[in-house]
Amino acid sequence: MIAAILLYPLIAAPLVFFLESKIINRLAILIYALLFAVGSVALYMGLNPIEFTTYFGLDSLSMLFLLIMALLFLAAAIYNMTYFNHSDVSLKGQTEYTVFFLFFIGSMAGVLFSQHLGLLWVFVEATTLFSAPLIFVERSRSSLEAAWKYIFICSIGISLAFVGIILLSIGTANLHSLFFWDLYRNAGRINPFWLKFAFPFILVGLGTKMGLAPVHAWLPDAHSESPSPVSAMLSGVLLNAALLGILRVYKLMTLCDLHYYADHLLLAMGLLSLLVSAIFILRTNNYKRMLAYSSIENMGIISIGVAIGGAGYYAAMLHVAAHSLTKGAFFLTAGNILHRFKSREIDKIRGLLQTDKINGWLWVACFAAISGIPPFPSFISEFLLVKGMFQQRFFLTAILFFFFLTIILYGMGQSVFRMSFGSKLPGIPAEKPMLSTYLPQVIILFLLLFIGLYMPDFLDTLLRKAAGELGVIKYVGLP
Amino acid sequence: MIHFLVVLFAVSLLYISISSRMEAYVKVLFMQGLIIFLVVTLEAAVLNSINYIFLMVETLGFKTIIIPLILFKAIRKMDVRREVEPYMMTFHSLVITTLIMIFSFVLAFLSVKYSGEIKPLYFGVSISTILIGLYIIMSRKKIITHIVGFIVLENGIFLLSLSIAGEMPLVVNLGVLLDIFIGIFLLVIMLKRIHSTFEEIHIDRLTDLTD
Repeated sequence: MIAAILLYPLIAAPLVFFLESKIINRLAILIYALLFAVGSVALYMGLNPIEFTTYFGLDSLSMLFLLIMALLFLAAAIYNMTYFNHSDVSLKGQTEYTVFFLFFIGSMAGVLFSQHLGLLWVFVEATTLFSAPLIFVERSRSSLEAAWKYIFICSIGISLAFVGIILLSIGTANLHSLFFWDLYRNAGRINPFWLKFAFPFILVGLGTKMGLAPVHAWLPDAHSESPSPVSAMLSGVLLNAALLGILRVYKLMTLCDLHYYADHLLLAMGLLSLLVSAIFILRTNNYKRMLAYSSIENMGIISIGVAIGGAGYYAAMLHVAAHSLTKGAFFLTAGNILHRFKSREIDKIRGLLQTDKINGWLWVACFAAISGIPPFPSFISEFLLVKGMFQQRFFLTAILFFFFLTIILYGMGQSVFRMSFGSKLPGIPAEKPMLSTYLPQVIILFLLLFIGLYMPDFLDTLLRKAAGELGVIKYVGLP
Repeated sequence: MIHFLVVLFAVSLLYISISSRMEAYVKVLFMQGLIIFLVVTLEAAVLNSINYIFLMVETLGFKTIIIPLILFKAIRKMDVRREVEPYMMTFHSLVITTLIMIFSFVLAFLSVKYSGEIKPLYFGVSISTILIGLYIIMSRKKIITHIVGFIVLENGIFLLSLSIAGEMPLVVNLGVLLDIFIGIFLLVIMLKRIHSTFEEIHIDRLTDLTD
């Protein structure tokens, strides 16, 4: 199954490239999404008959990330079926887009499956290379600028992560292996000095891809300029993939009794991310950038959760799931609004609920889901996180957390409501939206609502296991 | 001999920090590639044979010939052989580079205490190469100099990976090489596009996207 998921792009991309047809472009992505979904569920059920190499594998942590990715990819693929219907992008451009999209997904899957630190690095860098042309699909001045910043900043970041990996391998010189299971099993033999030296490099490097402040500069540009299915995948899956890399090294730190050191760094970057997004969410006049800053905020929340530990691990894992799904739906809806109003500016959009009822309500519902309004699951995760903070006596963090979250809620709420309510703008065409442009978001939001109201047992177990991978959980429980 | 080469590598860093012509940059990159190739050749005893051949091809083929050639062509085509336009004076630049080197060597000698595996000279030069690469990126205005800085950074990382005993498996090495190569290639392609779209290739022009 792992082989099928990783090899599909290699087989499909040449076909897509040579056939150059609109239908095949769309079908190639949809079939991949279906294969991905079936494959992930099969892997979850424990069906993995052929283990062809030790380089790829799955554990409880990546299982969670894989299932989230499968669901979001399916949503983006359905949405993608009609995305280019009214676009000026040429057939050649669309074909290139499809080829890179397939490879982009494949390399993200590679990050999730990698069991070797070096290989994980290779796939993370590959995601940058394959997604840069996706940002540049519309061939505009600003998308060129965004793609340049993205590829350059991320390449430097990833290079620094590689420095970290080399430093780590100095510390593990007596192991001669960078396989995660080898590292975890022999954690006692690793020289702590080199681990301490390496971790900041890996954190900053992968943190660049994850969008943690102060190395987030590429994120708002890339998210706002790329086509909406790509934005959804960037925000919902790519950031998580980088997070997974950090968590893998974080686990090594905990096994070497250095988690206090890692925790402080994660906490600092997490709080800084909240600060940065709080400032910029108030200032921005571009709703896709607003969503991008919200991604920075949520990545900050997740790293704070990991830093706090205890119940925080569970909260962080739940927040990963909640954020990815919600933000994916949010970006897809933003794509619909962009298509209808032809503008990314918040000031130029009024009366969304009157112009386009479905997308208007989706927009408001996504906002409710992302800002942690009950009964959505991000409420539960944020609640658990704050509970964890009080249990572990992080009082100052809790105060700052509330303060920044309130500002962000105010900033986003103001923009979302200004866009949604009010009277209809003249000159906006009234057309009935196609089913594929809103159905994925509706399904995702209902799923989230369901998870928030009644957490299914299998998901709870999945989250507990993932959290358990990170460290000893002192207390885990739902409110 | 190896020590001499590594010192020569450090000198090339000082040279790049004071030179102001684009062609000189590419020449330095060529020289650095050649030095790394010679270092790999002399290190033969430590590496196993497949990895050895692979590294020879990589350093001679990619670092010494292909990458400088691509850059050189790009420079010719876009006619940017003039000044590199730094933000700072040459003298200040030299001082900063020297400070970076001193810092790296102090760090290297401090680190030796914790692990006998590393060689302080190697380690110091590679760390300073990485930092100077970053410094070049931050202190120059033209986008093409950013690519040069990035390649210097990659050279530093390569030197660092040579200085350690534990080596990567071949699969991973191949992947790393491929990634870096495609990365640089993509950067040059985008550079050309930026050149034709924005007409100038100053970083100051890339300011459409802000809040």
